Amino acid sequence: MFDFLIAGIQAPIFLLVLTGMTVGMVGGFIGVGGGYMVTPALIVFGFPGYMASGIDMTHIAGKSVVATVRHRQLGNIDWVLGLAMVGGTMFGVEQGVRILTYTKKLGLSGIILLTASVVIMIGLFVYTQLETQKSTKKISELEKDGKKVGRELSVSKGPRIFQSISLFPIVRCRTARIVVSMWVIVLVGIITGVLSGFLGVGGGFVRVPALVYIVGASTHIAVGTDLLEIAVSGGYGALRHSMMGNVDMVAVLFMIVGAMFGAQFGSIATSFVRGPAIRYILSYSLILATVGAFLRLFYMLTGSKHEILSFLAVVFTLGEMFFLCFFILSLVIFSLRYQKGKPVPAWIPPLVVVK
Amino acid sequence: MAEVSKARGAVKFLFWLIVTIGLFYYAFNSYFSGQMVSWYYYKASAEGYAVHTAAFKDASKENPAILEIGSFQTISGLQAVPVKKGDRLPVNTDGIISNEVLKKGKRVKLEDGYLKVMVPNEIKEAKGFKYKDSFKHKEIKTNPWSGVWNVGMVLFLGLSLGLLAEGFTDMLGFKVEKIEHFEGIH
Repeated sequence: MFDFLIAGIQAPIFLLVLTGMTVGMVGGFIGVGGGYMVTPALIVFGFPGYMASGIDMTHIAGKSVVATVRHRQLGNIDWVLGLAMVGGTMFGVEQGVRILTYTKKLGLSGIILLTASVVIMIGLFVYTQLETQKSTKKISELEKDGKKVGRELSVSKGPRIFQSISLFPIVRCRTARIVVSMWVIVLVGIITGVLSGFLGVGGGFVRVPALVYIVGASTHIAVGTDLLEIAVSGGYGALRHSMMGNVDMVAVLFMIVGAMFGAQFGSIATSFVRGPAIRYILSYSLILATVGAFLRLFYMLTGSKHEILSFLAVVFTLGEMFFLCFFILSLVIFSLRYQKGKPVPAWIPPLVVVK
Repeated sequence: MAEVSKARGAVKFLFWLIVTIGLFYYAFNSYFSGQMVSWYYYKASAEGYAVHTAAFKDASKENPAILEIGSFQTISGLQAVPVKKGDRLPVNTDGIISNEVLKKGKRVKLEDGYLKVMVPNEIKEAKGFKYKDSFKHKEIKTNPWSGVWNVGMVLFLGLSLGLLAEGFTDMLGFKVEKIEHFEGIH
């Protein structure tokens, strides 16, 4: 047990390092900050609510830098795309926070927040699942015909529509091989920023699908670029939280140590898989988080009477982290087995890469 | 060539290891020396009484904690120092019992020149999760520069840890190559 002087609590270092590691792995793989998993975990460890959010946001900023360094090495970052989006994201985050403050004044923030989270996450889950299933089916068909399929295959028609908008200025993103109007990128930044500020999360779970299905980036580049974005927007969020005194820096340091190991594994694991595999994990993380949010919403709507719902929400949220890590680990192991010609489940070949 | 890259990786690893250890040492030293804590509990943002909340965390209505009021430089145990908005806080302060809370009289009362604390904690909720909320950190203004320090430290540490890990894999000869995003049908 470690005595956290600023938070005024005692918590085991091991659990903080483990949380950092698991969220680091998931975040490095699917390009999310993981705030929706870490804040509840910190509250369970005994940190006060305001401090849990602050520690979470600050650790996300540091962890994203760790993962960004590795994704840069893997060539997964489009700097032009990322930097073009930053301004829109920051503006959006500010507007999101204002909407949140307004709903708080109405005394509705908790319920509105959770309802919005549930609706957005279910919508994204359904679309990602349907699109990814179609993509993997197409990969299987192409491979049966003896054609060589690349890292990425998406059947979404969104990118074609948005890339055809020829509003000046037009941006050429060399790494992502995209030519798109700057306004599309800025708009994606604003919308995801508003959601991020309003829901109090990094926003990666919205931004990665938006980069793939609207802007037209490949999933790997969307993940790397989003982590760069989170490092910037997370840094800004961390600054605001720190200035309000919501951060116990030593808790952040312990979590970053764990995140370093997790983020390395998660980032490198992306090189073993195709784009649809990352989108699958992202969609599962969305639906699992939705169940957790739904349980908490139900708990609040029933007047916080049924403690079992709150307990289940905690169990679900913490269990989700381990489930996703296990899923990522399984994909890497199956990928290695497949490369060596060993038997793997039938759903694996379209998802992994043979080097 | 591989050997050269391994040697370069080892140098990179060692360099960033030293930087990381230095950063951790500096951060922990600032924490335990009390410097970071004094940045946090910096000024009062409301009129009331500066307190050290751990001293009365077990108080209850049946067994209230009685706090002695005075102008102490350092708060030790059951003591409270009257403060105005914007005042620098005495050493060991980690929360303020505001005059507003006193007026309500549900949690704390002012009796015979002493503060009588009856309800040190309240159960609150954040994002659907319950937690114990005390007077700790209430009505406190943090030094804004500590925010800049935190973010600078966390970003630099992230960079340092990222490059440390990169140096480590290079040193082991584990080649992380750039992904070919547009090879084959896409």
